[in-house]
Amino acid sequence: MSRGSPGALACFLRGLRLSLSKPYLAVALWLIQLLLAATLILPISNMLHGLLDLSPAADRMVANPDYGWWETVRRQHPDVLGNFPEIATGLLTTEGIRWSELPNMRGVGASAFSLALLAIVVHAFGLGGMLGALREPSSSLVTFGREGMRRMPAFLLFTFAAFGAAFAAYEWIYVESGEKLAPRVQQLHAEPTALAVTGLRLAALVVALAVIKLLADAVRAVWVARPDLPPVSRFFFGIGGALSRPLRLFGVLGFYAVSTAALYLIWLILDPSAGGEARFALVPLILAQQVFVFVRLLIKVGYYAGISEALTRTKSPEYSYVATAAPGAVPSAPPVADEAPVDQV
Amino acid sequence: MPPAKLRALALALLGAASPALFADAFPPPPVASYQISCRLDPEKKTVEGTEVLTWKNTTSRPASTLRFHLYLNAFRNTLSTFWKESGGENRGGKLLESWGSIEVLRMTAADGADLLPSLKYIAPDDGNPHDRTVAEVLLPKPVAPGETISVAIDFLSRLPRVSVRTGYKDDFFFVVQWFPKIGVFQESGWNCHQYHATSEFFADFGNYDVSVDVPARYRGKVGATGRLVETRETSSGRILYRFQQEGVHDFAWTADPSYIVLEDIFREAGIGDAKLILLLQSEHASQAERHFRAAKAALSGYGRILGPYPYPTLTIVDPPWGARGAGGMEYPTLITAGTSWSAPTKILRPEGVTVHETGHQFFYGIIANNEFEEAWLDEGFNTYMTDRVLAAVFGPNHVDLSVFGLHFPLGIDIHEPLDVNRRYFEVADWDVLASESWRFRDRKSYGGQVYSKTALTLATLERLMGTAAMDRALRLYADRWRFRHPTTKDFIQAVNDSTGRNWDWFFDRTFYSSGVVDYAVADAESRPAKAPRGLFEKDGKLAEGAPSAIANPKGYDSEVTVVRNGDVAMPVYVQLRFENGSVYRSRWDGESRWKRYRVSAGPRLVEAVVDPDEQVLLDSDRTNNGRRTEGDPRAATRWTSRAVFWVQNLIDFMTVAW
Repeated sequence: MSRGSPGALACFLRGLRLSLSKPYLAVALWLIQLLLAATLILPISNMLHGLLDLSPAADRMVANPDYGWWETVRRQHPDVLGNFPEIATGLLTTEGIRWSELPNMRGVGASAFSLALLAIVVHAFGLGGMLGALREPSSSLVTFGREGMRRMPAFLLFTFAAFGAAFAAYEWIYVESGEKLAPRVQQLHAEPTALAVTGLRLAALVVALAVIKLLADAVRAVWVARPDLPPVSRFFFGIGGALSRPLRLFGVLGFYAVSTAALYLIWLILDPSAGGEARFALVPLILAQQVFVFVRLLIKVGYYAGISEALTRTKSPEYSYVATAAPGAVPSAPPVADEAPVDQV
Repeated sequence: MPPAKLRALALALLGAASPALFADAFPPPPVASYQISCRLDPEKKTVEGTEVLTWKNTTSRPASTLRFHLYLNAFRNTLSTFWKESGGENRGGKLLESWGSIEVLRMTAADGADLLPSLKYIAPDDGNPHDRTVAEVLLPKPVAPGETISVAIDFLSRLPRVSVRTGYKDDFFFVVQWFPKIGVFQESGWNCHQYHATSEFFADFGNYDVSVDVPARYRGKVGATGRLVETRETSSGRILYRFQQEGVHDFAWTADPSYIVLEDIFREAGIGDAKLILLLQSEHASQAERHFRAAKAALSGYGRILGPYPYPTLTIVDPPWGARGAGGMEYPTLITAGTSWSAPTKILRPEGVTVHETGHQFFYGIIANNEFEEAWLDEGFNTYMTDRVLAAVFGPNHVDLSVFGLHFPLGIDIHEPLDVNRRYFEVADWDVLASESWRFRDRKSYGGQVYSKTALTLATLERLMGTAAMDRALRLYADRWRFRHPTTKDFIQAVNDSTGRNWDWFFDRTFYSSGVVDYAVADAESRPAKAPRGLFEKDGKLAEGAPSAIANPKGYDSEVTVVRNGDVAMPVYVQLRFENGSVYRSRWDGESRWKRYRVSAGPRLVEAVVDPDEQVLLDSDRTNNGRRTEGDPRAATRWTSRAVFWVQNLIDFMTVAW
């Protein structure tokens, strides 16, 4: 690592500081996610109110999930969730899920999945806005929107490429390996050995997904940091930047994963949704949920800022978008020069 | 009247039988007894044996043929009925293409007559010419009623790699359904069905004396039906174990050098005195106590209701990883359990399987119904009893979340018997429960009907007649049919006799019907009572305006409509709860399609519930069983907020990796 190059933890912490100094970025992401999720509020809410409001079961459902009630609703109203629960839990099995199961999705489950696909598109916009705004010393929500739209075509490409790569990794590294290894795993002497094999498959998938993510994020970060370079150079600068400092990037990703996991753990332990009114009344519950989402997004923004820190120590040569001067007009300020090359790239 | 029937009648009159009477009844008179010597070849995965069958014709008609089950031939090739019906899958996994077979090498009668030339394979259930799971031989002379015949048979069993019940995995051997076994000769002829994908077994009681010759590396690691009576070295580094058991109808054995062998004692006055032998895999060593506790709970719980466990041993086998297809099976005095390396105590997995399979010692082992034709009499009755024992001893189970092979309990309770049998509702109208086991639409329907519908039917019956009456009915049934072959009609007769009432209507609508039960509250309203309007008699004349006595009614007018959505009618309670705390309950026979309840000028109605005590567990949709007059949006709003929250998280998850 070159002199002055910060370590992974330092990058992550700097990223978090940046995130905290620009909370509107997390607010913007939170709003995007909330608005996307809100499209499902009406069907879910109407269904639940229709089934529960006049039901004596509502009393016990306030506090805790009632296994029998949910089982009956799933069975009697198959169009509500379809096979979404099976797919969700299928992701956690040793076999994984086959994409051929997706056509069986229906109702809210299918809508949630489509929404998540839409979210990927919106995510490309959000990332452009976030990385662009992070590099400007004084930015605002307007900067976020403008930068997001500006980077969107390229970021959409990166996002779909990464999505495709992640899909392929899941299919080939996890699902296919599971299928091929299944007879051999059954031949193993003991279950812990079989669990270890699953662990190895999972680890391989996680590493592959991490590599895909880091490559994509590095390309995006450099794409924003070096607008002075032609697109192809920016792309390879990003790849090169990721390959030249893998430990630092993995470190930042690791700290992000650990802190997010810790947040979920705290949520699961506190479990404000359980216990009915005794633990959290409705309004505090909704507030707690949204605060959780917001904090998680603060960490997420911190991660991207951390990645940007790990790859580029210097400010962007282009502080902001400057409209092309009208012909014949004298520019009010000279164009900003490229201050320094990207760190060690 | 046969002596057994007289004895049963006497016991019924007594109300409950004393252990001394059971001691007299055990062992039952043998019908089919076996003396078997066999030798395991672990390398070739074969068992070579010789059996001497002693069989008695207990019917009033002569038997001119003998029919034998050759179960291992189900694994002979993909043309067997078992393979065809399985569709390549069984017991939760793919069938492995590892072939098994059983060949009869010699068959001679006691007088030396060679029966083998007359042996032919038959397929009484489906006519499949390629199925070789049933063989018939022609006798030179019919066996007269009451006469006993002895037949010597040499056989060679080739074991498949375990995928369904029987077979091997490495050095583990689970040797079941492994020898030529005679069918059951009844007044109507031979009852000897083929081996089907969903069927189990049926055989007569007898005495077994089996010697198992295994390599010395299996020393101390052999378990079997019955008690070990002899151990001795045989030639060239081999060892012989001899087991004997009277009053059983099958024999199973197992060997695995990696077993941890543990022992415990079950002893309860009047219920049983048995040595429990646990053959456990080392990775499950920490779960030994859980297995023992479950087995004891079952022996005690079943024994108190159905009568004592008469055998001196119970062997619990824990199949190794990769041989789980052998798990969850029952044989006389030997069962296989089922667990996993990560087995949180809140998930009653080893407990549930162990209680259930131990329970089969009663329903199947002692009360030996025909599992081919009326599988619910053992699987369903046993599921019902399993639920009772688990609920009484272990409390509620929990939803199991499997994360890459590790198990975690979610904080959601699963209650017996309703929650654990919900799979019935998915197949409620697919089949009539009273069907032969291979005639169900598919395996899902078989499981939902035979196990779960029966369990819910019996639990409903228990709630309708009361637990004490149900226990008396079960006891009478057990007393009458201990060591015999009951049918569904015999159980119904026992219920009718013990209660003094005719319950045929109930069984017609459950066991013999594919109808669905569903009651619902269609409407429940409560409005302030209105003053009557119109013409009323005043001083002998009609005048407009109500008399003062009724002009200003107080309270509320309430109206409730309950409906029967399902085809099947059951008597149910309807309960109306009012604002002042009063409760009105009414018994509705449930026969009509709907019934309306009106309350005038009473307290405000809060809610109406049909079947408030959850007596009719067969009700396929309980979410419509109650209705309040005023909505309470709290639960729906909380769950909506949860849903939105988790969709937000899902979106974040979907966008995090790329």
